[in-house]
Amino acid sequence: MESTFNRATNFVTRSRVWRSFFRHGMPDNEMDRSLVMTTNIFFHLHPVKVNRRSLRVTYSFGLGIISAILFLTLTVTGVLLMFYYVPATTLAYSTMKDLQTTIPLGQLARNMHRWSAHLMVLAVILHMVRVFYTGAYKPPREFNWLVGVVLLLLTLGASFTGYLLPWDQLSYWAITVGTNIASYAPVLGSTARSILLGGSEVGQNTLIRFYALHVIIIPLGLILLISLHLWRVRKDGGLAGQEIPEERLEIASLKE
Amino acid sequence: MAAEIKDQKTENIFPSAPTKTYQLMELVRGTSPMANKGPDNTVFSFPVVALIEVLLLLGTTLLVFVFSLLRNAPLEDIANPTVTTNPAKAPWYFVGLQELLEHMHPLVAGVLIPSVLVLFLVVIPYLDNDRTGAGRWFTSQRGRRITLLSAIYAVIVMPLLIVLDNTFNLREMLRGVAPELISQIILPGLIITLAAWLPMLILLRWKPTMREVILCLFTVMFVSAIVLTLSGFLFRGPGFKLYLPWAMPGGYNPLSGL
Amino acid sequence: MTVAKTTSDSKVSRRQFIGYAWAVAVIALFAQAAGALYQFVQPIVQAGGFGGKVNAGNVNEFAVDTVSTVREMHGFVSRVEPQGALTMSWTCTHLGCTVPWVESEKQFHCPCHGSLYNTKGEVTGGPAPRPLDLYPSEVVGDELVVDTSQTIQRTKFDQSQITPFPKGA
Ligand code: HEM
Ligand code: FES
Repeated sequence: MESTFNRATNFVTRSRVWRSFFRHGMPDNEMDRSLVMTTNIFFHLHPVKVNRRSLRVTYSFGLGIISAILFLTLTVTGVLLMFYYVPATTLAYSTMKDLQTTIPLGQLARNMHRWSAHLMVLAVILHMVRVFYTGAYKPPREFNWLVGVVLLLLTLGASFTGYLLPWDQLSYWAITVGTNIASYAPVLGSTARSILLGGSEVGQNTLIRFYALHVIIIPLGLILLISLHLWRVRKDGGLAGQEIPEERLEIASLKE
Repeated sequence: MAAEIKDQKTENIFPSAPTKTYQLMELVRGTSPMANKGPDNTVFSFPVVALIEVLLLLGTTLLVFVFSLLRNAPLEDIANPTVTTNPAKAPWYFVGLQELLEHMHPLVAGVLIPSVLVLFLVVIPYLDNDRTGAGRWFTSQRGRRITLLSAIYAVIVMPLLIVLDNTFNLREMLRGVAPELISQIILPGLIITLAAWLPMLILLRWKPTMREVILCLFTVMFVSAIVLTLSGFLFRGPGFKLYLPWAMPGGYNPLSGL
Repeated sequence: MTVAKTTSDSKVSRRQFIGYAWAVAVIALFAQAAGALYQFVQPIVQAGGFGGKVNAGNVNEFAVDTVSTVREMHGFVSRVEPQGALTMSWTCTHLGCTVPWVESEKQFHCPCHGSLYNTKGEVTGGPAPRPLDLYPSEVVGDELVVDTSQTIQRTKFDQSQITPFPKGA
């Protein structure tokens, strides 16, 4: 029995097709475990080995990863919503109603998209706060902190533009008030507002502009910058938490 | 020769043996290519990190999934430009700004303060570029104390300012007495700046490091933002007036606007 | 091989000069693209409906000392005196909420941040920075015609803002 199973596995994993996909063997030894990381595009963001200190839950709370996971959830559920949603003032609201009442699991898709969006804003803010309090922005990670600030703004932008799309009273007035704040900025304010709204008040032009920003422009920016952000974490030598506090650097015998 | 005046301690760490062709000469303080490395303390990313990530993925998704089964996303009436909802609130992450708007001119609350906040975030790593203590929560015991004290300060002062301005409203008291530039821009701007810098006056006497100064400023701003957000989100009811969250008039539920 | 050297006092060699010229050209190209994008995203100007001339109604419908809400003009006709009326926008000058006329309070009361305006549109309370904006209007025959294509901002009320009504209206 066992040998049949082994033979079958071997037949698959040694076939030319399999080996054209994966350039490593079973990751049950150090060589192949390293190769998993270096030969796979999704894994290659990780180093082959990581320091135990940087894995402590109380160091990062996994908040950065959780933000990235929520972004993934949002992409999946968002694409599902796009199958039905129409960004027209005459249709947007009724397609939302359809999603909730007639489309199987439409309500679930919408709920998951909405709650993930709130949660992502929260996770990103908490991630920034933990990076700040652990002093992980210090050199050489200054640039990655800046990338993070832009990521925070993009996350807020994605949430804000998405808020208008259901075209209900909540969205309409939140966006009206929100964009009016911008018009108080000297010089650029009212220009920025009318470009964002595509007119002087929230209307069809606004809806389609926010839609374009929400489903393509901002997500593309996020994908680009999240990739840069994660790559930089590696290039800056992994998480700051693995750096050993000064006092432990001193050779034990010198301390006496 | 240095080897001769080697003390006993060095000898203990690395005893010289006649068969060896090398020996420890001296112990010195200083950096070496091995600094910051310490003893090898690493694990393979596969499968450990990969597993952690899969677990986080499952956990987060499950959380969102269960919450989505329990609570539906809100959908109010269709947008109607002729009728404003009462109250009309921004999404929760901007409601702190809306609370600020209640107390001062939109130029200060909506433009200047957010710009200053973002600018502050941008310059943090360039103001504080001392590497020591990177990767340690609050950097030091003193840093932890400063953070805690700043947080307590903001938790007390911000609600106080909100309630104070709500009872003795600067704008209404000075209406017709002083121009808006003073009552709505300069005065509130000064008050909020002062409130943010006050702890600094005490801190400066402790001869703080740059990290400690920034810990204090960031904490005051962050905790203030939380207070403002909670005030705007939970305590503002119809007409954007202050009420207790459980005693809102007209059956308004502050949680319904998520 | 002998190379004939061009004698020149210029500190910039020909290669450098061409290099700079390229750089400038590329920057100019990007600047042009940015300019084009700026043009592209400008709002579309729409004509007709709200945003054009709106007939607010017969002047006799607006009794003295009353405020009428006229949906088509997104605003109010406030007959502050027998001689005429003010035609005002209903957009709050604070952050743009729609301000309702509250008959029981005899004033305009914005639900967003509680701005209060009297019948002349002047701010009597709340954060609004200026009185309600005006629409230009005139009486044609017996009809009050309001031009909603533009609003007039003002810092205070004065008599010239009133659109005169014909005698006997
Ligand atoms: C879309 C939002 C974001 C995503 C998906 C993200 C993702 C991540 C991930 C996966 C890590 C690895 C460590 C961890 O899990 O904590 C990380 C580290 C880091 N992040 Fe973010 N991040 C985001 C936003 C931000 C923001 C807003 C900031 C700060 C303004 C920031 C600054 C940093 C820095 C400096 C590090 C290195 C931390 C260290 O060395 O300990 N990131 N980020
Ligand atoms: S929008 Fe009317 S008071 Fe703020």
